[in-house]
Formats: sequence, C-alpha cells, structure tokens
Amino acid sequence: MPGSANSMLSTQHVSHANKFINDLTHSDIESHKTVAQYMSALDAEVTYHKFYPQLNQFHPLHFFTSSDSGIISKNISCSSLGINVAGIIRAPRGDGKEAIVLVTPYNPKKVGPGEALSLGIAYSVFSLLSRVTWLAKDVIWLVADSQYGEYSAVSAWLREYQAPVFHEAEIVNSETCNDSIAISELGQNPYSDRNSYGGFRRAGTMAAALVIKVDEQGNHHEDSLNIYPEASNGQMPNLDLINIVNYLGVHKTGFRIKVKKMFSLLGSRWLNTLGGIFESLGQIARSLNPQWKFGISATEYVEGAATLASSMYSQGLGVPTGSHGAFRDYQVDAITLKISPKDSPTKMIRRNDFILRGGRLIEGVIRSINNLLEKFHQSFFLYLLSSSSKYVSVGVYMIPFALLVAPLPIVAASLHADASKSTLQSTYSSEVEVSHKSWKWLNSARKVLVIHLWGAVVSLLPYFLYQIPNSTPTTNFTVWGILSAFSLIILYFILGSPIFEAAPSQPEKGEWASLKSVTISTAFIGLSLMSVINFATAEIGALLIVPICLMARPLKLDAQARSWRALLRATCNLALGFIAFPPVAYFLVKGAFEDFNGTNVGDYWNWVESLWTWNSATYLYVGIVHLPCWALCIHILFHPC
Amino acid sequence: MSTKTETPVKKKNQKKIQCFWSWVIGSVILRLIIIYFPKNLNLSSRPEVSTPLTSIRRLAEGYWLKQSSMSPYAGSMYHGSPLLLTLLGPLTVKRIEGQPDHLLCSLVFVIADVVTAMLICAAGKKLQAAYSSSLQSIGLHHLSEDSDILPSGDFAALLYLWNPFTIVACVGLSTSAIENLMVVVTLYGACARLAPLAAFGWVMATHLSLYPAILIIPVILLFGYGPDAPPRKLFRQRTNLEVDDSASGDRSCLEDELVNEKRMLNVFSWRPVVLFLFWALLWSSYVLVLCGIYVQQHSGLQEMFKSTYGFILTIQDLSPNIGVFWYFFAEVFDFFRSFFLIVFHGNILLMILPLALRLNHRPCFLAFVYIVLSSMLKSYPSVGDSALYLGLLGLFAYELKDMQFSFFLFSGYVGVSLLSPVMHNLWIWRGTGNANFYFATAIGYACLQIILVVESVSAMLNHDRMITKLTTAKLQNVKS
Repeated sequence: MPGSANSMLSTQHVSHANKFINDLTHSDIESHKTVAQYMSALDAEVTYHKFYPQLNQFHPLHFFTSSDSGIISKNISCSSLGINVAGIIRAPRGDGKEAIVLVTPYNPKKVGPGEALSLGIAYSVFSLLSRVTWLAKDVIWLVADSQYGEYSAVSAWLREYQAPVFHEAEIVNSETCNDSIAISELGQNPYSDRNSYGGFRRAGTMAAALVIKVDEQGNHHEDSLNIYPEASNGQMPNLDLINIVNYLGVHKTGFRIKVKKMFSLLGSRWLNTLGGIFESLGQIARSLNPQWKFGISATEYVEGAATLASSMYSQGLGVPTGSHGAFRDYQVDAITLKISPKDSPTKMIRRNDFILRGGRLIEGVIRSINNLLEKFHQSFFLYLLSSSSKYVSVGVYMIPFALLVAPLPIVAASLHADASKSTLQSTYSSEVEVSHKSWKWLNSARKVLVIHLWGAVVSLLPYFLYQIPNSTPTTNFTVWGILSAFSLIILYFILGSPIFEAAPSQPEKGEWASLKSVTISTAFIGLSLMSVINFATAEIGALLIVPICLMARPLKLDAQARSWRALLRATCNLALGFIAFPPVAYFLVKGAFEDFNGTNVGDYWNWVESLWTWNSATYLYVGIVHLPCWALCIHILFHPC
Repeated sequence: MSTKTETPVKKKNQKKIQCFWSWVIGSVILRLIIIYFPKNLNLSSRPEVSTPLTSIRRLAEGYWLKQSSMSPYAGSMYHGSPLLLTLLGPLTVKRIEGQPDHLLCSLVFVIADVVTAMLICAAGKKLQAAYSSSLQSIGLHHLSEDSDILPSGDFAALLYLWNPFTIVACVGLSTSAIENLMVVVTLYGACARLAPLAAFGWVMATHLSLYPAILIIPVILLFGYGPDAPPRKLFRQRTNLEVDDSASGDRSCLEDELVNEKRMLNVFSWRPVVLFLFWALLWSSYVLVLCGIYVQQHSGLQEMFKSTYGFILTIQDLSPNIGVFWYFFAEVFDFFRSFFLIVFHGNILLMILPLALRLNHRPCFLAFVYIVLSSMLKSYPSVGDSALYLGLLGLFAYELKDMQFSFFLFSGYVGVSLLSPVMHNLWIWRGTGNANFYFATAIGYACLQIILVVESVSAMLNHDRMITKLTTAKLQNVKS
C-alpha cells in the first residue's frame, strides 16, 4: 500500500537543502560544480554528461525507424556544450539491476528561484535516500542542463544511457574543448576526488522516472501539484504511477492534485446546461430507487469534461508535455510533477515547510516504486484522464469510436455491390466489351492511390521548405499551399493522360459510387490504423472525416433532384467539406476554444511545424489519410456524373 | 497489389511492349533508390521480411562460421542451403567504400526479381497461346479472341515486379527472391516442356525451402497433359461430333485442328514425365554431392538435413512472424508437440490429392493453388512467399475476371500489411500491447489467404462451367 510507511524526511534534510539552494543561487563558481560537490558529499557517484543540443528537425524517413540515429550538425562550437550532472546512489539491498530516476531541469546560466527550489526538494530526498537502509533500487538524480530545452538534455542523457554511440563520445570528449580542464579542476577539489568519475556511469534498468519542477509564479489559492503524463504520440505512463502520486498527494501531503484542463470549456453554457440535465436525471433516478447512484453533480461533470477534452487534445497532438516524454521512448514510465506554491518562490516565507511537503511526496513515491517486485502491470497504458483520480479506460472509449467508424465498411460494401451490379447490367447489354465486372473498382482504386501519393508528397514538402532561410511562417504556409495545389494539378494531368486511361474516358454512371466506396474503405483503414497508434487523433479525426465521407454525393445529382432533402444534403455536404479542410478545422477549433483575434495563417504553419519536429504521427495522419480523403470527397461532390 | 500494374488493354502490340519495358525499368529504378536508404528503412530486420530461413544476416553469420572453419550450422544461426552460402556468402563480406552494405547482394536479388518476372511473362505467353488454341479447337472462337486481349503474361510480370511485397522482400535482402526464382523456373520449364530446366528448378526450389516439393504433381501433370485447358471431356464430345460429321464437313480446313486436338486428347504422355523424373534424379544427386563436398569436414549431410529440413519441420524457432505456427507452438504443451507438428504439416498434404483430382486439366493453376497453400501453412512464412503467388495470380487474369470479393481482398491485404508492423511495434517497442495484438493480424492475414484461394478456385470452376455450357449449347445447335 503506498504511503503506509512513515515519512523519514526530517527538518534536518530540509535545512541541508536550504543551504544547498543558497549556495546554488549565490555562489560564484559554476552551478554544475556546486551540484556535483553536494552530490559527492552524499557519497553518490557523480558523473558529468556532456552533450550537444540536438535540434529537432523533420526527418521524413525517421518516423518508422528506431531513434538511434544521433544526428549532430558539424559546426557546433564548444560553447554550446550542455552539461548534465548525474548522481547515483547504489542501493544497499539491491543488486544494481534496477533504478529509479529523479530529474530536475535547470538552467545553469541563470538559476531561477523555482528551479532552485525544485533542486532543493530533489536534494533533500536524495540526501535522505543516501542514508536509508530500505533502498532496493539504485537512485539516479539527473540535474539536466535546460539551457537548450529540457527535453533535448534529458533525451541526450537517455540516449547515452540506453544506446551509446561510440564514435560520438570521442567527438564530445575531444581535447579541443576545454572542458577536460573543468574536470581536472574538479579533481583537485577536496570534496569530490573520491566519487567523481570520468566515464559515463549507469545503474540498472529504469523502473520509473519523476521529473520535478516548481512553478516560478505563485498566486495560487493553495499549494497544488500538476501532473503531466503525456509522452510522444499520445503514449501514457502506467496508470499506477499517476495513482500513487495522486494517493500520496491527497492523503499524505495535502497537495491539491491537478491535471491540465481546458479552461475555456469550464465557462461554456451548453456544457453547464448538459451537466445540469445529467444532475437532475441522477436526482430523479435516486428518488425512484436510492440504490442507483449514477448521477454526478453539474460542476463535477463540467470539470471532468474539460479535463477529458484537454487529455484528448494533448494525446492527439502527439507532442510530449514535458521532458518525461523522452523516457517513454525507452519504455520507462515517467511523469512530470509541477508543484505550484501558494506564494511566489522568491518571497516565500515558509520555504522549509514547502520543501518538506514536496520532499515527503517524492520520498513516498520513490519508496512505493522501490518496493515493487516487478514492473507495473502492463495493461494500464491506454486510458484518458478525466480527473487526477478518474480515467476512461480503453474498453470504454473504444466503443464510441467503433460505433463511429462501423458505418464506413458497411456503406463501402453496399456502394461497391451497387456499382458492380449496375456495370453488370451494362456489360450484358453490350456483349462486345470484355466484362471485368468484379475488377471495375481498380480504376477508382488507382485514382485513390494517386491522391494518397499526393498526400504523401504534400507531407514531405515542408522538409524542403524548411531549408529556405529567413522565411516567415506566413510565406512558408503560402508557398506550401501553392506547391501542393501545383503538384495536385500535375498529378491530375498524369492521371488524366491517355496512358493511364484503360477504360473509355467518358465517366460512367456509377463511377462516383465506386470511387466513394474505395475512398471510404481507405478512410476506414487509415482510421483503424491510427486508432492503434494514437487513439485521440483517430477519434478527433473520425469526428471530422466520417460525416463527409458518408454524406458525399455529387452536387449535380442533388441539384437535379430538386427536393428539400437533396438541397439540405447538398448544403450539409458543402458545409462539412469546408469544415474538414485541415487549416479550416484548425482555425475553427482555435476560435472555439480561444478567440479569433490575432490569428493568421502563419499559426497553422507553426502548429504543423511543432507536430513534425516532434515526429508526431498526427502529422502523418493529417497528410496521408485526412487530406487525401477530404480531397476525394470534394472530388466526389463536384463529380460530373 | 499495386494498381499501377494495369497495362493498357486495347493498344497496339508494339506500344504495349514499349510500355511494358518502361514499367520494368521503372521498377528496377525504384528498387535501386530504396536500396540507397537501407539504414533509414532497416527492412532486413523486419519479421515480415526475414525469417530464420531467409535472413541475410544469418547467411552472413553462416558464411563467417564457415570461413573460420566451423560448421555453418553451428550455433543454430543459419538454416539455409550450403549452395546459397557459396553463392551469396562472398558477397556479404564485400563492402564498397561509400556504398551501402550488402549492395552486391541486393543487386543479385534485383536481378533475380527481374529474371523471375521475365520467366513469368514467357510462361504466361506460352499458357495464353496454348489456351486460346485449345479454346479454338472446341469451337469457342469469340472466347479465344477475348482471352487474347489481356496480355496476362505481361500483366503477371508487372504485378510481380510492382507488388510492394516483392519490393520489400527484395530490398530487405530476403533470400526468398531466389527461392521464388527457382519455383518460377520450374513452372516455366514445365510450360515450355524443357525437362532438364524444370527438373533443375524443382530440385533447387525443394532444396532451398522444402515446400515446393509438392509442385512435383502439377509439373508431372504439365508434362503429361500439356498446359492449362478447358475440361477434357469437352474435347472428347467435340471429336465425337466431328468424327460423325467428318464425311460431310470439308476436311481440309479441319486437318490442322484435328492434329491439335490429338495432342489435347492424348491421355497421359509418359515420355516427358519419365524424362523429367530422370533429370530430377540427376540434379538432386548432383546437388547432394555438391552439398556433401561443402559440409564434409563438419559431420556431413546428416547435419545439413537436420538443421535445414529438420528446422523447417520441427519449428524450433518461435520468434514471431506473419504465420500462425509460432504462437501455437509457443503455447502448446511439450508432450503434444509432435502430435500437433504432424497435424499442422498434414494440413498441406491433406489438400494435395483432392485438388489434383479436381484441377488436373489446369496444372498451372493447380501449382498456383499449391503455392498459396504452402505459403499460408509453412512454418516460417514471409511476404516474399505472398509476392510469388500474387504475381502468379496475374497469369490467370482472364479466367479469374469474375472473381468475387476482389475489392475486399485488396483492402484486406492493404489493411493487414499496414496494421501488422504497427502491432509489432506496439508489442515489442512500446510495450503497450502484447503478443495477441500481433497474432490477431497474423490470423487476419491467414484468413485473407484462405478467402483468396477459395474464391480463385471457385472462380476457375465457374469459368469451366461457363465453357462447358457454351460448348454444349453449340453442340446442340450443330446437331439440331
């Protein structure tokens, strides 16, 4: 049971941590040396890890490969070298095969008060752990150099830890950089000569990792703890890790645990109304039978919905919400704990108390992980958070998605059957033609394939646009749009040329139906594939693309029909076709949750850029599945049947 | 699978050939482009591409063992033929500066693919000529014109070359390209009635991957009866009729046809079959002698058989692949293992005889069906096997034009081949899935293959029925 042991963190540890913070913020020597000195004073093994910041770049072929390719641009000077400090405590009871990682990102050039406080909390826990007897897993404290972004620092250290590349190490340790001097200086230091090591030190397999941060701003009602679990491509850490933190936070240390939520939803009127309806329904049900307890209060409902929406959005984006994301690539469960103090860290009166509470929470979590015999149970990776203590599991959220996409194959099959039936009649009427009735779909399949190829080309274009120097997002976006349209026209001409046209060129009657059936089946395949890779993207994408896919019907037919139903359908089609265009969808969503003020087309480029720099599968989904399906639907709408 | 392979149907012959060659060259260029990104794609370590039998890494390991004068089969790494070691082994160690590793090997596989496609094309042409002449001889002239319109040989060759499975297997350096080549050599040799070539192909294919051994039945039928033709009873009816009419009809124009029919009518001709068997014996002893010389320093042929055929039959390697055996044999209790080994391998053997009886007038199609069955039920399947039968499917484009569920099969193949790597990634790399996720796609894949084989056989039988109906109608007309 987590938290059943008494906390051992005492005020003595806290006062040490206080001294550490003061030294860190006020001393003249470089801060990583201070950290190393303090670490080695605790009998920890201290190592420096030097790395070049790795620029996130779009590598179109790296989506499907292992992330072992450390690409470092050549002309990086020594000054841009980052230095991580890692301290390892060897467990007295362990065999050194497992480890728990604590990460505190900080900027050595300018240590902010919040960062200093987070380092202090980690130090207090670390100093406790170096003395305790119950430790069965090694503890690694990584002080990550965040001057080039905390994610790149953590991922560089992890890469070195998990998949070292030997020829690169020589580059980093080359004598041209004067960092070897720094190490020799450290060697002369009386504090650290025992425990400082030149090479990279490792502990065992990582069981879990915690990234600790303290918010720079205060002004909160009470001390609260924000949990950031999302890693790249919507991967989540094991739910038990969040449960432990939540349990200890609520029951032991009295933090208010928060998960990110969409604040714009909290004030929305329709959601509140819906919540009110659910509440009254629950009350009615309870009045009928006191055993029925499914009603929830309106505020709870609205809060849950806002959290769920935010959870889905950050999973669907596929961009990690913090440096914990780097751990998930190596199958290590990790979360970021961002502690927001009541007062601002600079003018905090009861700093010791704050460190004590934060430290006790971390200690409890580490102790719980330490006592695990095996890994967390494997099945709790697929979930959406609706509050820090509630979640929607995969078995529940798959049902609406399955219902949403289930019509696609059915409609595709019925359209396909109709199309082949109609061609059957036409071929029997004219026996001269070779009947290929069951292969008629090949024509449509070729079109769909070409459009999907176009989608792939469009998604690769930014890679080349990125090479253009000094361009603003707006121009980039415009050039991208123009090039995409241009490539579509080229493909259209190739497609329309007689080389490709096997069948007689005049469009047949049922041609749009067969085209639609192939389009729908590709949309179905794409959505099912995406639901496995990143569920949230698939869900949001399905909401956008499924209606237009199902409704699409040539406008000409609707116009000829001249009934209210047909006109309504045509308008719906046009509206849906407008909404499903990716940039439009982006701006509508942005407008709905934020406001339209100050948005320009460059924002879309920036958003897309953030997706591809993080190698998010969402980008590929939008480029290769969503955009071609949308284009095909528009093609069907304007089909000259 | 690629829809691009559609060749223009109603074009002049010359234009068609030009187009054909440009498509062939295009496919070679595509392969060469992909070969230059080996690190990024890393295909040779995918479980879909390289099985324990076909992996180039294992082959390089075997060659290394042999070079350091150890048995190539030591350590259960290599399970292929010693002849492949002598052929490809030296190429695996040769590196050209600045070029991707295994460049020479990949070039060999590209050449093997192109040769396979050419042989499929040639076999297709022979089949088509024979088929249209046999259609003419039973009097269905308009059908024979129809069947000429679609150049099924070219079509099948392009289908083979542009099939993503073939490309992936070729670029992923799987030796299945060479196994496929040998199978196609067998079929071509049998279609062209070249007994030594067919025997060589059959012996080599069997030597390389064991399962093509069952192709001996279609090959013997091919040599005995000639290539695919409508059911034989139709010819008999026709000749009966013509013997009746011969007095009244003008003999001169039927002379040629009658000679042709005699060939068709000839019941089993034993001479080429015996010749084939003789050559097969010769080639197999030759291959055995060569292998014996190669492995003689290390416990001889017995070890070779044990670690090639024995490895295939006893399914020792249970690493995941796109087949269905690994999962089952990882779960099964040890004392049931031999029983289930017999049951699973018996599956293929069980279907050989009924199919041979029902389809004996279409030996090439029978070979296709056997290849689908064995690539579905073999112990270490890879996408290279699917590439072969999907290419051969193109040979019967005319007969199978009314095949049902073609769209469903196409979507299914696309879906499964995309889903399977994702599931594998989920299980092995992300750790959020488990083996069942991946195995589910393997089951889906097996089901698709079953549907494919069932539907193609039923389409073929329907086609036969259609021909029978047409000829009997014609005969009725003539009689009345």
